[in-house]
Amino acid sequence: MLETDAISMSRRRFLKKSGWLAAGVTVVTALSYPLIRSAIPALPTRNDPLPEDGFAWVQALSDGHIRFFCPRMEMGQGSPLGLCQIVAEELNLSQSEIECVLPDTNQVPHFKMTVGSEGIAKYFEPVSFGAAQLREKLRSIAAKKAGLPREKVEDSLGGFLLPLGRQIGYGALVPSEPLVLFADDYPSSRKALPRYALLRRDKYQAIGQSWKHHELEAIVTGQTVYARDVSLPDMMFGQVLQPPTFGSLIKSVDVRAAEALAGVLEVVINKEKNFIGIVADSPLVLPEAIGAINVHWEISEELNQDQLDASLDVDEFRARDEFEHILASDGDIGAGKLRSQNAVAARYDTSFAAHAAIEPRSGLAWVRKNKVEIWCGSQDPFFVQQRVAKAIDRRVDDVIVHSHRMGGGFGGRIVCQASEEAAILSAATGRPVRVQWDRETEFQNNYFQPSFSHHINAGVTDEGTISHWQHDFVSSPILTGLVPPAIGWVLDKVMADEGTARGSLPQYQMTNRQVRYSDIRTPIPIGAWRGLGSAPNTFAIESMMDELASKSGIDPLKFRLQNLPSTSERLAAVLHRVAEISGWGRHSPKNTGYGIACSVYKNVTAVAIVAKVHIDHDASELQVNKIWCVQDSGLVINPDQVKNQIMGNIVWGCSMALKERITFEAGAVEQRNFHTYEILRHGESPEIIITLINPTNAQSTAVGEAAFAPVAPAIANAVFAATGKRVRRLPMNFDNVFSNSGS
Amino acid sequence: MNIEINGKPISVSKDFEDATLLDFIRDFAGLKGTKFGCGMGLCGACTVHIDDVAARSCQVLVEEVGDQSVTTIEGLAMADPAGSFHPVQQAWIEESVPQCGYCQPGQIMTAAAFLNRNPNPSNKEIKQAMNGNLCRCGTYERIRKAVARAAREGKINARN
Ligand code: FES
Ligand code: FES
Repeated sequence: MLETDAISMSRRRFLKKSGWLAAGVTVVTALSYPLIRSAIPALPTRNDPLPEDGFAWVQALSDGHIRFFCPRMEMGQGSPLGLCQIVAEELNLSQSEIECVLPDTNQVPHFKMTVGSEGIAKYFEPVSFGAAQLREKLRSIAAKKAGLPREKVEDSLGGFLLPLGRQIGYGALVPSEPLVLFADDYPSSRKALPRYALLRRDKYQAIGQSWKHHELEAIVTGQTVYARDVSLPDMMFGQVLQPPTFGSLIKSVDVRAAEALAGVLEVVINKEKNFIGIVADSPLVLPEAIGAINVHWEISEELNQDQLDASLDVDEFRARDEFEHILASDGDIGAGKLRSQNAVAARYDTSFAAHAAIEPRSGLAWVRKNKVEIWCGSQDPFFVQQRVAKAIDRRVDDVIVHSHRMGGGFGGRIVCQASEEAAILSAATGRPVRVQWDRETEFQNNYFQPSFSHHINAGVTDEGTISHWQHDFVSSPILTGLVPPAIGWVLDKVMADEGTARGSLPQYQMTNRQVRYSDIRTPIPIGAWRGLGSAPNTFAIESMMDELASKSGIDPLKFRLQNLPSTSERLAAVLHRVAEISGWGRHSPKNTGYGIACSVYKNVTAVAIVAKVHIDHDASELQVNKIWCVQDSGLVINPDQVKNQIMGNIVWGCSMALKERITFEAGAVEQRNFHTYEILRHGESPEIIITLINPTNAQSTAVGEAAFAPVAPAIANAVFAATGKRVRRLPMNFDNVFSNSGS
Repeated sequence: MNIEINGKPISVSKDFEDATLLDFIRDFAGLKGTKFGCGMGLCGACTVHIDDVAARSCQVLVEEVGDQSVTTIEGLAMADPAGSFHPVQQAWIEESVPQCGYCQPGQIMTAAAFLNRNPNPSNKEIKQAMNGNLCRCGTYERIRKAVARAAREGKINARN
């Protein structure tokens, strides 16, 4: 307890001196439209970090440890570990000298939601800056203490080296309270501060090492505390009755039977908020109590999949020649068509999808008079803080969110609805209340990846260049998918959703190109899912590239390479390398095929994939046997972690290609558990071979979602190589590939 | 009524007798290493050993356990007198298997029971044995390597 107080006191001093208190409580949003901003209840935390933000994240402790308040949440992507290595590089630490903490919301100023594969790319700089400055502050203290000029105080592991070989550890320089950085510690110029994480690229001691995750041993022994595992001594158990369809409203409710059950403490009803929840003294009572509630719903949404497909149908939009956003319009499509020797027009479709993290979300809330505490796992704890404050009508500052490692994120945990439910139930009863979603609730009540429909019309000249490229697509807004519909409607008038469009501009040289899209809101809740639009858009582009190559009789690798601009050396390099490691161009046995695809995630991370598929006609199976991947994501902080992320992306790519599909019927999700929403299983998972290009002089770029996008088209292209059949709709399986409707 | 978990008898209160073993382990015994994923026997996150055989604790009622002994991830290492990690856990550490880690206790329990039965599995047998355990983060390749490593290092003695 004492320690916590000490931290928050330093923090108050830190904030006061630095004047960031004000900055910390203001949510800086990308939306500068004043009217809209005031109407939006709460928004995800979106401001990118500034270099000096790093000051708040590092502290030196008197026991010699460096405490690192990690500004990235952990969901298995491992960026907190990479950031620890950056701290270690600056402060000359070994791994055991760093105490990595996922901070509570009252321990550090706001930081951005953990999304977009930015953990290292955007946080390298502020973390390195803060850690380097802490080192120099410690050096000054050491110099003063020893009565020496600073230059005489040399670096050493975990501290400094003084003349005559005397070692002094950091701990000896910190009296009792943690040593923190203040705004007046800011160096005269940022350039003047030596940055080991940037400078000593040829003699890194921590960066580039495959450190094992600090939680690894806890995970394999079952000791890690996920949000679902937290409990408090007098904790009660809550569950909320979920609406049967999107947007259905409570018409009338009778809870007498539920109230009469032994163990039920209270039934909380708020018709205005469409909320009915149970608080009980045992979790075992909850299912029966929920079942005993007699409620009449007013069903407003009976939407089904056909209607959805119709409203997101690219052909309809093309027939009306009506697209909201033009992403590119270069050259002259008509003139290009005249030069085309081999033209292809094709439609590609991808499905609605769910995150399906194995840990369904959970929240524990304890609402007291002056303090509200929440324990949860979220990609945006500060958004949870705001939403909880809103839900129980309290000041944002009264709410503290304690963050836990998440059992998978994938974009699906920007909000933690279970925490809001727990807070409402705790506010009503004054007891700590735990709400755990089950699998069905998780499938029905979160947001989804929207389906995409694409139409591409393109051609190749007789020199093998791309004569024209006309790409239209329709999907739903993703980045602003969570705003209330009334605001969304206004928003859509003034902005195009960049998340939906991610990855839709091809990397290839095209003089004549047009790319248009519409982002259409439907009643289906939509939000971030791994890579946003990048995987669906790359599926369309890289499938079409394969179709163009085959129609022109050019090898698909060669066709890609000859159409890359000279500025795309890094993409060309990963393509060459993947061809090498996979033995591209070899003869393949019957019913076996190799496919290639590539992309540059967020225009920074170059990835090339080769997939090998085999068609087993006896078993009626389409098997992905092996995937090769080469990735260039700049300087690699931890090769082992990066490879683990790539493997995850490859498994996701196979899963998207072969398995995943959410459909809606009568206003509700049809898939409620893993027998109907199938994700890739172990037995279907391919052998994976990964090579990293590690240019140590290039900045670290996005990893967490990068290798995902080209996987599905590589598989589809491999199926074509094996069978001559084009897969243009995902997910694919043996039956739909070999039925006529498969293409 | 008593059931034995990790070598210790635990008395079962009346209201937990017809609860699932998973709920009992987590909310009564307070052992949180065994995870809930689907509640329908589809994901394997809740895998424990009942008399050394892998079982999905969300599909077993407490009263069905009887006098069989239950081992959870917290008790797995105890079976190995040598150290703080069971050889399968050790292999998991060597291969840095986990991403989010949530499925991993279940994966490890399945692998440990499997290797106990088949200490020298082929790659294909590993794939089959592990097929019931979902990993959304996609760590399957490393799971295969870790199971093969644990088998290779040969510290697992077939007991039956
Ligand atoms: S929770 Fe038991 S199998 Fe999924
Ligand atoms: S490691 Fe995350 S589900 Fe397996």
